[in-house]
Amino acid sequence: MNVAPRFSQLTPGAEPTLMEQVQQISRGPLAKLANTIDHDGYYPLDVMGDLGASGALGIHLNRYGNRFDLALTAMNEVTRSCGSTGFLMWCHDVCGLYMEQSGNPALLARLDAHAKGKTFGGTALSNPMKTFAGIESMVFRARKVPGGYKVSGTLPWVSHIAKGQYCGAIAKVENADGSTSHEIMFLLDIDDTVDLGTCPDFSGMEGTSTWRVQLQDYFVGEDNLIADPAKPFIAKIRSAFVLLQAGMATGLVDGSIDSIREVEPVLGHVNHFLHDRQDQLQAELDELNSRVARLALTPYDDSKDFFIEVLDARAQGAELALRATQSALLHQGARGYLKSAAPQRRIREAHFVAIVTPAIKHLRWEMARLMKEEMPK
Amino acid sequence: MSALVDTWKQFICRACGLIYDEEQGDPDSGLVPGTRFEDIPDDWECPLCGVTKVDFEPFVQREAAPSCAPVGPTQAPGIVVVGAGLAGWAAVEAIRTLDAEIPITLISACVGNLYHKPELSVALSRGITADAIVRESANDAAKRLGVKLYTETFVVGLATGSHQLRTTRGALQYTKLILAQGAKPILPPEFPAHLCWRVNDLAGWSGLQIQLARAPQRVAIVGAGMIGCEMAEDFAKAGHEVTLIDRQTLPLGGLLPTQAAERLKASQLKCGIDYIGGVQVAKITDLGAGVKSITTTCGVVIEVDHIVAAIGLATENRLARIAGLEFERGIKVNPATLRTSSPDVFALGDCVSLDGMACRFIEPIAKQARAIAHEALGIPGAAYVHAQPVIRLKTRSLPIEIHGSPRPEGEWIVLEEDVNYLVMHQIVNGQPGSLLRVGSNKAA
Repeated sequence: MNVAPRFSQLTPGAEPTLMEQVQQISRGPLAKLANTIDHDGYYPLDVMGDLGASGALGIHLNRYGNRFDLALTAMNEVTRSCGSTGFLMWCHDVCGLYMEQSGNPALLARLDAHAKGKTFGGTALSNPMKTFAGIESMVFRARKVPGGYKVSGTLPWVSHIAKGQYCGAIAKVENADGSTSHEIMFLLDIDDTVDLGTCPDFSGMEGTSTWRVQLQDYFVGEDNLIADPAKPFIAKIRSAFVLLQAGMATGLVDGSIDSIREVEPVLGHVNHFLHDRQDQLQAELDELNSRVARLALTPYDDSKDFFIEVLDARAQGAELALRATQSALLHQGARGYLKSAAPQRRIREAHFVAIVTPAIKHLRWEMARLMKEEMPK
Repeated sequence: MSALVDTWKQFICRACGLIYDEEQGDPDSGLVPGTRFEDIPDDWECPLCGVTKVDFEPFVQREAAPSCAPVGPTQAPGIVVVGAGLAGWAAVEAIRTLDAEIPITLISACVGNLYHKPELSVALSRGITADAIVRESANDAAKRLGVKLYTETFVVGLATGSHQLRTTRGALQYTKLILAQGAKPILPPEFPAHLCWRVNDLAGWSGLQIQLARAPQRVAIVGAGMIGCEMAEDFAKAGHEVTLIDRQTLPLGGLLPTQAAERLKASQLKCGIDYIGGVQVAKITDLGAGVKSITTTCGVVIEVDHIVAAIGLATENRLARIAGLEFERGIKVNPATLRTSSPDVFALGDCVSLDGMACRFIEPIAKQARAIAHEALGIPGAAYVHAQPVIRLKTRSLPIEIHGSPRPEGEWIVLEEDVNYLVMHQIVNGQPGSLLRVGSNKAA
């Protein structure tokens, strides 16, 4: 069958240096921190800074070569050791993508520091993305004021933010009569006018610095605008946004296969009664990787067919991550169930990949919506 | 059921699948309800395709399959069929005839009810509604045939290596996969989907039927191919003001010789159809209050209440491309086995191409389904032999029948001609090819 190209094999050259550095970070300091992040909620900005210095957080950007394949490989490698940090990479990567694709000189001036991990920022697009898909309604509301907009509203949880950091956000612009005229997208600088509230504890993915964001007449000026109107911008970046998440899913599957293989010498004689064994998972992962590698070549293709393929790959990744992490725990048995063990942590991380926007159910909803034929009413 | 009703019998047309029900009769042809099959005159014609009584056979509803148990976890995932139109259900029937046990899963993008698609071309003037066209609900058929049914489910991905089909309701494993997704009406960019009806399935037809049932309205049909011509006559007979638009100067101009197409145009005019030929649609505009305008490239503007796009059909290549299946104007299949370029994937009906040609007719489907069922189950026999079906246009004011496949380079010769009847055949490379009959040789 298909011998799938691994992302990192696509083009040899200078990349091994980047991937070697990412691997060194992931398997060295990050692997040691994984439990501290998972149990104590440690926010690994030091690791993120190292990843930024290696070039891993900017490699997908046009100014650094538009290498989505390498960005995905790096996220895969990091997620293999720690799902929370893999997610932080995705948040950081898409935030950089917003800044670059905005074309706004003020934001472009800030992009280098972001890409190199000297400043940090995430994304608050879960609610707007679901709004555009017809699943929920927009939380942030904006009104036009001289020189920009004033935005109000409360988002329940936004990750990879803190005071002094930032995130991409979208608000609907309301007319005087309360109707919506359009949407704006902006970089929300978390300054003193922004209220960050503590979130309840989650069962996994701690350490991602996730907060409730409350805005009251927060001013958005020219320098912070990513897109006005936002919808054409979202249409342009939606595939890239979703595609980048594939690295989290494949990283969990790779990590799970690692765990299954690790115990094969001692438990192989009983483990062969289990299904979803390493070869099966590897074959499915290879098939997924080969498709994702192809999609990563044209991340800004804005066609409907391309987006459906991306959504499908993202859904398949989440489903495979659920099966693979479950299987890894069954293969490892009690040792995988220890509080310090990776298999039980990865199960919770896989659940996150399955429910974070776009969740499996959202992906299916959106694919069905896109595939339905439109008829006159 | 009373003893009396029990005794009514049904007969199925072997050519097109229409069912003659003695209880209902065929009032359009003068057969009152309750007319026994044996009492039907020998010159009576199938109201749908025009064959005579001898081509009908008794229709017996098949008994429920011995095993209707829901398909549970099993080592072999079984056969998955994609598409619940005529082709998909025919494949299911053919498999169940040979194997009562094998798990079958049917995936449908629509509700999947069973109906006979050719009826859509004549149903409006007969005052039939969508409910009456449905012969059996998808749920009833699934129960009868022991099928696990997924409705309103779209197929998004296919990995032939791992035998995995991905859908909007999750991934499915298959042992053998049968693709019967049909073809889709072509809709060029100048035809906005929200302003143009397409009548290629019951849902599309039904939406338009509900609108047209309100009052006589102005309908423009763009595309004077077979479907466009059939619908134009049906809509005109139902009392609507029909404009038929095509790039060709005459209706069916791409298929028929001029003499024949002229007769069709004249017949359409008698039915009240306004044929506008030799034009191309440039723009369609919503004028509000339900009115749309069509502007042609030569500047003609036509205002109507409804627009139907009947430009032609095309098979989507998305799934074939993702799965790496060979594709040429349709999913390429082996002409004898209907196997695609992937060994465990078969395809039939409107979505396939045989030697590079699509064949979008009803008649071959049952034979294709039988061939696939045998191949998929590993039972010898029943190879498919393709023969060009006889084309019978459901234009009752001027019946048209074509035997063989007319070729653009062929020369048409008149064999017989009078006011009501025209017979021609085509000479290709000195050899007689297709035969064409237009009109009726019965006394007018």
